[in-house]
Amino acid sequence: MFRSRQQLWLMLPALAALTLIFVLPIAHYLWLSVHTQTVLTELKPIPAGAAQWIRLWNDSRFWQDAWQTLRFAGFSVTTEMVLGLAIALLLNQPLRGKSSLRLISLLPWALPTTVMALGWRWIFNDPYGPINQALHWIGVAPVAFLANPSITWIATVWADTWKTTPFVALLLLAGLQNIPRDLYEAAQLEGASAWQSLWRITIPLLTPYLLIALVFRLAQALGVFDLVQVLTGGGPAGSTESLALYAYLNAMRFLDFGYSATVMLGAFAGLLVLCSGLAGLWWFTSSRLSIKGGEP
Amino acid sequence: MGRRGWLVGLSCLLGSLLISLVLWAQPRKEPVSILMPAPFADATVELVETFNREHPNIDLTVTRGPLETEAVSDLAISSLLLGNSPYDVLLMDVTWTPKYAKAGWLEPLDGWLGDDALSDLAPGAELGNAFDGHLWRFPLVADMGLLFWRTDLMDAPPRTPAELEAISASLQQQGRVRWGYVWQGRQYEGLSCTYLEVLRGFGGRWLRDGSPALDSPEAIAASQWLRSLVNRGVTPPSVANMAEPEALQAFESGDAAFMRNWPYAWAELNKPGSVLAGKVGIATMVSLPGEPHVATQGSWGLAVLSGSNHKQAAVEALQFLTSTAAQKELNLNWGYTPTRLSVFEDPELISANPVLPELQAALAAAVLRPVTPIYAQLSDLLYREVNTVIAGEIAAAPAMETLQRNSVQLERSTGGVQ
Repeated sequence: MFRSRQQLWLMLPALAALTLIFVLPIAHYLWLSVHTQTVLTELKPIPAGAAQWIRLWNDSRFWQDAWQTLRFAGFSVTTEMVLGLAIALLLNQPLRGKSSLRLISLLPWALPTTVMALGWRWIFNDPYGPINQALHWIGVAPVAFLANPSITWIATVWADTWKTTPFVALLLLAGLQNIPRDLYEAAQLEGASAWQSLWRITIPLLTPYLLIALVFRLAQALGVFDLVQVLTGGGPAGSTESLALYAYLNAMRFLDFGYSATVMLGAFAGLLVLCSGLAGLWWFTSSRLSIKGGEP
Repeated sequence: MGRRGWLVGLSCLLGSLLISLVLWAQPRKEPVSILMPAPFADATVELVETFNREHPNIDLTVTRGPLETEAVSDLAISSLLLGNSPYDVLLMDVTWTPKYAKAGWLEPLDGWLGDDALSDLAPGAELGNAFDGHLWRFPLVADMGLLFWRTDLMDAPPRTPAELEAISASLQQQGRVRWGYVWQGRQYEGLSCTYLEVLRGFGGRWLRDGSPALDSPEAIAASQWLRSLVNRGVTPPSVANMAEPEALQAFESGDAAFMRNWPYAWAELNKPGSVLAGKVGIATMVSLPGEPHVATQGSWGLAVLSGSNHKQAAVEALQFLTSTAAQKELNLNWGYTPTRLSVFEDPELISANPVLPELQAALAAAVLRPVTPIYAQLSDLLYREVNTVIAGEIAAAPAMETLQRNSVQLERSTGGVQ
């Protein structure tokens, strides 16, 4: 693995940091997940074998939350990628006032999630929020955005999309600016349409950036906590509870640390599978991609 | 190093020696730190100043915690889990007591305060401070669920669920209010408080003989009634995400005839400029004939942390802040409901705050949520399932059967709720 001793020494600080930040906590969680440590054991860990894992397997709430977390992440990340790409393409055009537009489009992302979630809780308020006021003016009955299980999860996706699309747009804009202009000029000379340029030049050369944005966003969306906690508290009818929220409830409210660790590890295993799938996709596309993007 | 360097080094050394000497020579003050939710921290600023003036050997400081109840708990628990908590005293919600006591985080107060410590407490305020035969918390501010009603729209508050619905329907038909009754139906602790009052008013119990009894006909009827309020248009469907602020908003804008809320809402509604100033009455929750009108108790109390190194000073601060004089000041200046009988009966306070006797009566009707270290789990099961009923996702009977099954399973897996 290491070609020389020097390389090993140079890697050591990074390896130590990674061990401290990732390996140790995960090892501790694994240890916790085979113990019972709750308020009833007076917070002393008692070996429990596989009991927590069996409990997880049989816990319908865990599987419901897993499905809801996936649904949230799937819908919000897809929307964010499409919208983010569109905004990046727009901001990459030679527009007047481009820099101020870029700045404005970043604002939602700069807001702390809890603050923006409180904002959306007000916007979605039934019947006093602005949306329902607007509906009232055009004669439509108020919609209980946050009190209807079949609507509320869409409201959480919406709020998340509003906040994090700028992040995707920013990443993709950086990618767009790395694509050499001469490629487009050459394509134009050959008579390619704008649509063809998009699909034959922009998207393939942007793939690494798209994948980075996708991995970042997926990891964040699958760990969604603060948005849901503030906007809905996991309700109504548990329809917006995420795995992170469930793990938090178990640890901080129920003082059931063994099970909380098991829930977190279960979610982590799922995330690992998803991300390795994406990494496989990356490997597949980058090995197929022969163009390296010309001059930097 | 040159001569100059030596000189600079020497003077730095001498200077720091001098400073440490001065600091060391100062009388040592015993630091006591209290974590409180932000509103209480603001209200006790003057009391803390007075305490520090009267106790030159103690340095009492209050940390202004978050606004929301559970956020304060998160902060406290995080610090306690790390060990060596920076706080000596904690202002605690009533439902935390068994959990914190069982976790070993609290100092029993029995030995510190003496046997007659609770003798001056108003009926209802003495509840929820003890667990497992020890006193863990002394109540600072009483809090109980109230039914707010509009004195300009009716002569007397409804006493039964049917009356509440009838008055609501007639006022709604006349177009005088948009809704009849707003309350806390969001999936959170507030719904457990709301539900407990209705449950008791329908003759049901959360626990019967120490075991969950949530599939009883009374318990089913209670959750069914809450849902029927939405079905009949007495309560807006948005109640399924309504916490205290949302309910207060609907009520204070004059859109509802009734509201379930805590005493703080009284002060809000009677603020100068409020459209409802002088038009609001308080009562206890409606109940079926023959069943009690109850109020969920939600008091805040001070507890000393077992890890504190300044317990004697901490207890002195606790006694000062919960004293008759302090409670009087908190009521006069901030509208907080006292816990001591002598404060409730103070003629000066009654003339300044005419609602006090009614609050005292409501406090006397107070009931506790289950007193168990696993209360948070029990309540989480309850508000999640009742919220499902309120949102119209499932009928009351199967929901309460699921709730009962889950509660019993929790009880078994943890070896009993008591």
